Amino acid sequence: MWTDSELLTALRRGDDEAWEETFRRLYPAAFAAARHPLAALTPTEAEDIAIEALTLLMPKVKEVGGFDELRPLVITIASRKAISEKRRQLADKRGGGDVTSLDALQDDENIRFEPADQLAGRLSASDLRELSRLLDAALAELEPRQAELLRDFLIHRVAYKELAEKYRMPIGSVGVSLSRSLGKVRAHLQTTPTLWKEMIAYLR
Amino acid sequence: MDADSFADLALRVLAREATDEERRALDAAIAADPARGEEFRQLEETHALLLAAAPMAIAAEAQEPALPAYRLNELRTAVRQHFGPVAARVPIAASPSRLAASLRWLWTGGVTTVLAVVVILISFSDRSVEVGLYRTSPVRGSDAPLSPTDVPAARVIAFDQDAPFDQWKKDLSWNEHAKVWIDNENDLLHIIRRDKDGSLTEQTEPLARTNREQREQISRVVESLQKR
Repeated sequence: MWTDSELLTALRRGDDEAWEETFRRLYPAAFAAARHPLAALTPTEAEDIAIEALTLLMPKVKEVGGFDELRPLVITIASRKAISEKRRQLADKRGGGDVTSLDALQDDENIRFEPADQLAGRLSASDLRELSRLLDAALAELEPRQAELLRDFLIHRVAYKELAEKYRMPIGSVGVSLSRSLGKVRAHLQTTPTLWKEMIAYLR
Repeated sequence: MDADSFADLALRVLAREATDEERRALDAAIAADPARGEEFRQLEETHALLLAAAPMAIAAEAQEPALPAYRLNELRTAVRQHFGPVAARVPIAASPSRLAASLRWLWTGGVTTVLAVVVILISFSDRSVEVGLYRTSPVRGSDAPLSPTDVPAARVIAFDQDAPFDQWKKDLSWNEHAKVWIDNENDLLHIIRRDKDGSLTEQTEPLARTNREQREQISRVVESLQKR
């Protein structure tokens, strides 16, 4: 059993077993990041992205201060790669004339992908850890049902109508519930003003 | 438009599920009330942030799926391509840093030096004395000639020929303490010794007349040399 320190040392010298162990440990995170809802890639596409993200750790391994930095690193790499892949796919569709409104698609791409791309590219490992901790705490403060509704809306990208059916609420109440939950999460994230301002700046 | 209706409309727009008519209604509500505009800006900001970052934060906790076995060879190949053949890889673990390597060299060098000094000191502290003589020394009187048992504290070396005896007389190795030999031709006892400062001192004294007296003389000289 490797300690993190032993593992990082072995990774730096190119130890095959250490890399295999690292790939096994980090693949679930890489795959989850590659399935970023904004990218909406298929599982097979996400698998390719995750594998590519893992291989991109090799040139970075001498730059990290500890093994624990590799997880957020592979997440940011996989997220960006996934979003880039989605953009490429959309560009291909545009090139093939497979769209009804070029302007609408262009607009949609800029609005949806640019902030995520910026954020994924700039969030440091420590930022991502801090954000993860804050989000956990923020969601824990919500009613479980509200937290689940917010997850379904943001992470699983469940449509309004389906949300209303799943949570057995009038469709007009879905937005109200989500709006209140977003306000509470925002307030919680703002308790760490430095990170909050940094992230908001990345989105612009 | 009441607060709940505005919130519902705002979220529909953010979720990209609003109709054109609903979009226009939202724009109108914002235009009519700046507070609504600020409310929407905050919702939009938080929504965009969470949409981008929440999946990444959640990914950090992911425990599955497991790495597909059929992708492992691909990754192994990537490792080989990046780091080169196994035999050519630098064993970083064996030399984690230049500082550590330098310290190890210093330590090894220090130990070697200390060992060398110890060996030298042990050598110089060697108080053994060699006594050289011809195997067929002339017998003086009725006593038997000198034998190793007569001077157990010394190493008696008997020579049959002149050449090796002469060579032995010349050499006092750096780690030898003293040599004594009998010069029957001149009736002298030669003594050569290394002093504490490393220098050599040679002296002679008249050889005792009889073998018994010579044994006593040599024993006395050897004992004296060992005390120096």
